[in-house]
Amino acid sequence: MEDMYIKPGNQERGWNDPPQFSYGLQMARGPQKNLLNKRAAPPSGAGAPPLTPPSSNPLAPPPSGVGPPPRHPARPPPGSMVMPPPPLGPGSQKEADSSQSESEPDVDGVMLVLSQALAACRQAVKDQVCNDVAKRLHLLEDSWRSGRLSLSVRRRMTALSLDLQAGHWDSADEIHRSLMVDHVTEVSQWMVGVKRLIAETRKLSPELLEPLLKPAEPEQDSVEPDQEAVKPDQEAAEPVKDSTKRVQDPTEPVLDPVSES
Amino acid sequence: MATYQEFIQQNEDRDGVRFSWNLWPSSRLEATRLVVPVSCLFTPLKERPDLPPVQYEPVLCSRANCKAVLNPLCQVDFRAKIWACNFCFQRNPFPPSYAGISEVNQPAELMPQFSTIEYIVQRGPPTPLIFLYVVDTCLEEEDLQALKESLQMSLSLLPPNALVGLITFGRMVQVHELSCEGIAKSYVFRGTKDLSSKQIQEMLGLAKPAAAAAQQQGRPPAPQEAVCLFLFRFLQPVHRVDMNLTDLLGELQRDPWPVPQGKRPLRSTGVALSVAVGLLEGTFPNTGARVMLFIGGPPTQGPGMVVGDELKTPIRSWHDIQKDNARHLKKATKYYEAMANRSAVNGHSIDIYACALDQTGLLEMKCLSNLTGGHIVMGDSFNTSLFKQTFQRVFSKDYNGDFRMAFGGVMEVKTSRELKVCGAIGPCVSLNSKGSCVSENEMGVGGTSQWKVCSLNPSTTLGMYFEVVNQHNAPVPQGGRGVVQFVTQYQHSSAQRRIRVTTIARNWADAQSQIQHIESSFDQEAAAVLMARLGVFRAESEEGPDVLRWLDRQLIRLCQKFGQFNKDDPTSFRLSESLSLYPQFMFHLRRSPFLQVFNNSPDESSYYRHHFVRQDLTQSLIMVQPILYSYSFHGPPEPVLLDSSSILPDRILLMDTFFQLVIFHGETIAQWRKAGYQEMAEYENFKQLLQAPLDDAQEILQTRFPMPRYIDTEHGGSQARFLLSKVNPSQTHNNLYAWGQETGAPILTDDVSLQVFMDHLKKLAVSSSA
Repeated sequence: MEDMYIKPGNQERGWNDPPQFSYGLQMARGPQKNLLNKRAAPPSGAGAPPLTPPSSNPLAPPPSGVGPPPRHPARPPPGSMVMPPPPLGPGSQKEADSSQSESEPDVDGVMLVLSQALAACRQAVKDQVCNDVAKRLHLLEDSWRSGRLSLSVRRRMTALSLDLQAGHWDSADEIHRSLMVDHVTEVSQWMVGVKRLIAETRKLSPELLEPLLKPAEPEQDSVEPDQEAVKPDQEAAEPVKDSTKRVQDPTEPVLDPVSES
Repeated sequence: MATYQEFIQQNEDRDGVRFSWNLWPSSRLEATRLVVPVSCLFTPLKERPDLPPVQYEPVLCSRANCKAVLNPLCQVDFRAKIWACNFCFQRNPFPPSYAGISEVNQPAELMPQFSTIEYIVQRGPPTPLIFLYVVDTCLEEEDLQALKESLQMSLSLLPPNALVGLITFGRMVQVHELSCEGIAKSYVFRGTKDLSSKQIQEMLGLAKPAAAAAQQQGRPPAPQEAVCLFLFRFLQPVHRVDMNLTDLLGELQRDPWPVPQGKRPLRSTGVALSVAVGLLEGTFPNTGARVMLFIGGPPTQGPGMVVGDELKTPIRSWHDIQKDNARHLKKATKYYEAMANRSAVNGHSIDIYACALDQTGLLEMKCLSNLTGGHIVMGDSFNTSLFKQTFQRVFSKDYNGDFRMAFGGVMEVKTSRELKVCGAIGPCVSLNSKGSCVSENEMGVGGTSQWKVCSLNPSTTLGMYFEVVNQHNAPVPQGGRGVVQFVTQYQHSSAQRRIRVTTIARNWADAQSQIQHIESSFDQEAAAVLMARLGVFRAESEEGPDVLRWLDRQLIRLCQKFGQFNKDDPTSFRLSESLSLYPQFMFHLRRSPFLQVFNNSPDESSYYRHHFVRQDLTQSLIMVQPILYSYSFHGPPEPVLLDSSSILPDRILLMDTFFQLVIFHGETIAQWRKAGYQEMAEYENFKQLLQAPLDDAQEILQTRFPMPRYIDTEHGGSQARFLLSKVNPSQTHNNLYAWGQETGAPILTDDVSLQVFMDHLKKLAVSSSA
């Protein structure tokens, strides 16, 4: 879930700065469900004084003694009508993430995969490029070991390394992009090395790739089937009527600061 | 087709076109009497997921001065394998590859559903996209850091084979040589000296190959290794230099020259742009390229300077301009216009990303983007979500995974004989192509049937204006149809050359006997936006009051023509449904920042107008008359009048002005929120109510380009002014008690309300002396 979020804009620097959407959320956007492009028809003869909307409250209470809002526990809240069901994308990714969160990201595992990939590249790619990539992988390892990487970055790097190992180049590349967009400050220095590594590895001939793609260690292997297993589980656990809640979930914690005025 | 509304919607979805009139008057005089010209909003590259391009060349009419494209409206003789051009009536044999056609075996371009069709044509080897970053280093540390990160991030969003280059500037201009190895080198230019394109190319060592390239204009550079290395010194494929460029960007420092107290930093924007334009001109003429200029302040030295470096002299205001007291305005504007035209000739577009609290000179520089189809983005700081996300969205992709950007567009209009084209308003330049379908009467950029749009995206929309040719005594015969064809050639982001052809026909109608039909064919939304574009186009050259008077006159004439009334009796005045919203649109347009400069800086006005003359109809109309939705316990959210009477205590309002999204909590709602009812389980519905507009706002935020400002406010909040300044002030301090009871929110203004405006309009429309 951590790659689907909205965080408030930078009000310090930008006047009425809009909230910021994470890469995952931007990509997951389905077709716009609720187009707000209607206009109320003008009252007949456009020049007449506007009619008071029928449902207005003529007894506007004085500021000191406002009654409570009406309670309608039984009725569906009006909000549910405007809430679009979650696009298809987020569901699966959310689950993938929650399954990862069970296993603590492991720096050694990630570095092992990346170094294996680099080793495979060494035979085909110019030394200078490989050394440059190696330098950046060191930076990554340093940042990770010294605790400078956030959990979200560490988790996504774990997922990236698994994709790399499985030969899912596009998916690995997509994770790299999401990290650059969401966490550029943390990752910009070394991520370009990982990016190049993905690009070079996918160009390698099958023979050179073999050592990388061979079955990985058991503990990493177990994560993948897990993802599959979780999916039906969650689907079943969640009743259909909950569809509104699933949308709110990712946004809730972040919207709070936004709605402060 | 049940109603005109459905017809209009269907045409917009299929062809990206909205005409002011969907029946055309059959003579010039009658057309003039309709007040709103026969015109349309046309979105050349409207997204059509259901339209796969075809992989062959279009078939053209063989007449040399016609060359219209074969389309579903052509008469075809399947036996003789001949088609008749519906523009010049030339009979053309089909090319040999069409030998197999028959009634039951027709090529796509003859089928009615392909009134819009796209061809992929093979012309020379594909050329990669080119992005040249031109970066101001006179920024605050925090801003520079944020900008550097955004630029590094963008390297991940670019296609790996895209060419990228970097120019930085402050007091000096540095062109960075990008190499995969060795030390970073750069060429330094003084920021005060205006250099010709030739000098720049010589100094960069591009002169010789440029001469060679000039001989083969329009073609990408020869593939010889030597030439490639030469050209690629400053522009390299992303996949080759991403690591070095990331470091180079990471190591960028603020301009090292000291800035004395009371001075502005010396910023050589003019020379930096001149170097960028010259570099591309010398290396990749006629190839899609994007210069992306990032600035944190106005140009302060050299050619194109907008303000001096003395802080005690403020940058020009509207007041200075009116008093003819803006010293650098004319010179700077001329400088940038010349550069914009050069860039347009080469097919290169220029974006401006201006992030600063004060003005940055957009007024002088706007032509760079307006003439080349580039973006302008205006923010407070590079370290804002507004800039970061807007910048990301420049690289957004469509349903096919292709970038939503196209380059080197050339749009040509062909008309049947009864029509001529008067001009276009949008991010384009004239290609001065005179032909038989070009009118003498210019509206917007006219005198041509071809325009160049150096960069366009799926929402880029041009206003196209036409005139009916036939004289009153020889009107177009009844029953016929007038035809317009748009042929747009462009470089797709996948580097393919493509041609999109849209052919549209409308019936002719006799304005005397069929005036009611013509009236019901009126598309008031399109008409409002098209008239607004004409108004904005005029406003760029004329004084504000003149434009308002012109718009008022047009509105009164339209009401005289189509209103139903008894002479001199304003109360009898009625407009039919197809015109009912039009006066309201004009009312809000008069108040809009596109025509009113009060309360806006010259830069802001330029910025708003820049976006207004390129967006599609829906977005443009939001800019003219913002959308207001009301959320309450009384039912689902509903659109409400943009009127002070809609501001009620138990409502939440969501207003979209395109540039701002405002969520306004009514007085009671605000108190409930303050009291924290949303936290209590039994008031879950209140929590939902608070959430609903936030969710809807998010949907808008996720698609809008550029990102709007986002305002969450409540009754009495200072930011409520965004709402209060947009609603029709039907209740003011002047008439508050006239309504008997207090509803809505009175606005403290002396502005004219829609009601007063309408009263005057009616009086003038029915007056026999008018």
